Amino acid sequence: MQEHKKTRGGSTERGMAGSSEEVFFLPSLMGTSAVEAALPGFSVVVEQVGVARPFALLDCHDQSLRAKGRVLIESGGALQLLQKEQRHLSQNCAGKGRFVQDLPRGPVQAALSGFPELRAFMQIGTGEIEEKSLTVLDELQKTQVKGTIWCMSSPTGQMTIVRLQQLRGYERAYQKVRAAIADMSVGEQGIQAFYVGLYPDMDAYQAKPEIKLGKTEPSIEVAADIIHTYLKVARQNEDGVIADIDTEFLHDYRVSLRKIRSVVSLFKGVFSEDQTADLKRVFSDLMAPTGRMRDLDVYLLEKDMYFNLIPHNLHPGLQGMFDRFQKERGQELSRLSRRLRSIDYGASMDRLIEMFDGIGRLKAGPNADRGAYDYACTLIWKRYRKVCKIARSITDDTPDETVHDLRIDCKKLRYLMEFFAPLFDAKGFKTILKPLKKLQDNLGLFNDYSVQQEALLAFAFQQSNAQGRVDTQIGLAVGGLIAVLDQRQKSERNRVITSFQHFDSPETRTLFRSLFHHKKE
Amino acid sequence: MKIIACYSNKGGVGKTATSVNLAYAYAQAGKQVLLCDLDPQGASGFYFRVKPSKKLTDARFFEDVERFTKAIRASDFEGLDVLPANLTFRDFDVFLSRMRNKRSRLKKALVSAGSDYDVIILDCPPNFSTLSENIFKAADEIVVPVIPTTLSERTFDQLVSFFEEHKLRKKKLRAFFSMVQKRKILHQETMESMRKLYPKRFLQTTVPFAADIEKMGQHRAPVSTYAERSVACAAYRALFDELENGVVSTQ
Repeated sequence: MQEHKKTRGGSTERGMAGSSEEVFFLPSLMGTSAVEAALPGFSVVVEQVGVARPFALLDCHDQSLRAKGRVLIESGGALQLLQKEQRHLSQNCAGKGRFVQDLPRGPVQAALSGFPELRAFMQIGTGEIEEKSLTVLDELQKTQVKGTIWCMSSPTGQMTIVRLQQLRGYERAYQKVRAAIADMSVGEQGIQAFYVGLYPDMDAYQAKPEIKLGKTEPSIEVAADIIHTYLKVARQNEDGVIADIDTEFLHDYRVSLRKIRSVVSLFKGVFSEDQTADLKRVFSDLMAPTGRMRDLDVYLLEKDMYFNLIPHNLHPGLQGMFDRFQKERGQELSRLSRRLRSIDYGASMDRLIEMFDGIGRLKAGPNADRGAYDYACTLIWKRYRKVCKIARSITDDTPDETVHDLRIDCKKLRYLMEFFAPLFDAKGFKTILKPLKKLQDNLGLFNDYSVQQEALLAFAFQQSNAQGRVDTQIGLAVGGLIAVLDQRQKSERNRVITSFQHFDSPETRTLFRSLFHHKKE
Repeated sequence: MKIIACYSNKGGVGKTATSVNLAYAYAQAGKQVLLCDLDPQGASGFYFRVKPSKKLTDARFFEDVERFTKAIRASDFEGLDVLPANLTFRDFDVFLSRMRNKRSRLKKALVSAGSDYDVIILDCPPNFSTLSENIFKAADEIVVPVIPTTLSERTFDQLVSFFEEHKLRKKKLRAFFSMVQKRKILHQETMESMRKLYPKRFLQTTVPFAADIEKMGQHRAPVSTYAERSVACAAYRALFDELENGVVSTQ
């Protein structure tokens, strides 16, 4: 009956000027008859467009797109971005494995500009899309409302996305259709309906999962909880390290293990002396094989910065250096991947996770039963006093070693506060953490510049021959860099005293006392 | 922006079919097109299943920017809108000059509504009137379908004389032979003599007399949407090519 319909729906991606678009997320699959029943006087025509095609759902490991209420799909060589209350965007390009800054210019790339630059788009889900055209016709068979239906299915669920297009001059019909479709969406609204409908079991990776603590919970239980949680976080990053998706996997893996190590070393007397020593060794051994790879990642990520530090005529040597780093990183990656895939490694991680599941397998030390809150106050107050003592002693003549010590203690203070944060008033914590973070950034840069100089020196020595001579190009580049980095380190060093004074305000002092030292004195 | 008027001072020559199929061809080529249905007997709107608006008959309509933009209807085809005006109107030239003027309220309203039309196609009423004179002045091109018969020859002569008398630019006249029946010797002879008489006025493209074009009334859609491989469809495409790009295709 509708002979001229064949050409409908064959529309191009060229946006229809003067028409607006709305997106609806419907649970399960939409029935045409239900829409038609809700629209007396109109006929609804749904036609299949092409064949069902596979799609990949893209996001980064910690699902920052989902957190922002967005859906990014790659299908048929194009990226499709759906976001709350905005027009659907499409761009012909591949996305899987790429970084946002590497996408070609286009509407999707522009909309994604806030995406973390260190994170790659990875496939977090798959499924099939069946595209259908939706046409709502009046009694003359004139199109009143146009739309596109995506029937989507995944191994774990199905749902429907309807995009409605308002046609100029047919606003009233549009409102009716809009209301009928909106009535069909029940339960989870908007973008979340997409994730819940297609991937009900998909958990988002969290680099810092919330750990529930009780004020009187024995400290050994707190320690076990934290270690158990971060062992699992570390494990969730292994596949990404092996697949070399982005450098954040290894970074998060290391941060998790570092947090575990600091629990072992900072929660003094919670585990027995023997077990503490044992655990220190175990976790140190776990981390050791990742160090060089992380260093290389950092150098390579900062490549542009290095090139900007020295004049153009020294660049050839620098390029030579980075080529070697790149090669070495490849070797490190295959070594580390082999290790992470090994049966021994897997078994030892399983054993550790089992060991910290509850406290039955742990050996208690003298502080094991101390209430978490009380113990936290003691530890944090002690560490705070130590930070202040070192920081207040720093003058322009203090050796760099002391500044390094201050950095370590600040880090320990920060970790302690983060571990026990659930036990304390969030607002007070925030007030303290802000200047502490600033101080740490300052100390962090100071340390980075110092470590980088050492690394460059080591690299130059490593590249030199038996007579201690090094390739001129490389020698010049390294020398130039060290000179600049030394200047930078000095200027960071000069800022430490001011940063600390900012942290050491009367307000912070009072807060520390009231939060962690109210019982005694 | 380009204004193309489809005009004929004789009825039943395929003028509305030309407007509809040209408008569709421009839209298919990626242009934003507004087809204005100015012929009370015409049926551009009918062919796109757009109901005529009752409110558009009074003269003040064109001054009321909002009402004007609201009267525009989207067709079923991407980039092609229809103004089912269905009116006889003296101040149409004012409207057209406003459409051209970037700073006019009308133009601004259209732009803000997302309709910055590249091409406006006018399906004109078939008589000589103030309206037609205004349209002749305002349009960039006047596409005139001519059936190659003796009677059509006379009406085309009248049109050219009208242009001469009113000092209008004859260059704008882009005539083409319509409803051509190749087997009729009369058609062939008339085409030959008229091309000789008006060597610069006629396009090379001819549109044949075809059942597929007559069927537009049943389908209520442009020819190429239901008879994509037909001779008629190819002819309109060639007409578009010649008008737009100066390309003469061998049919």
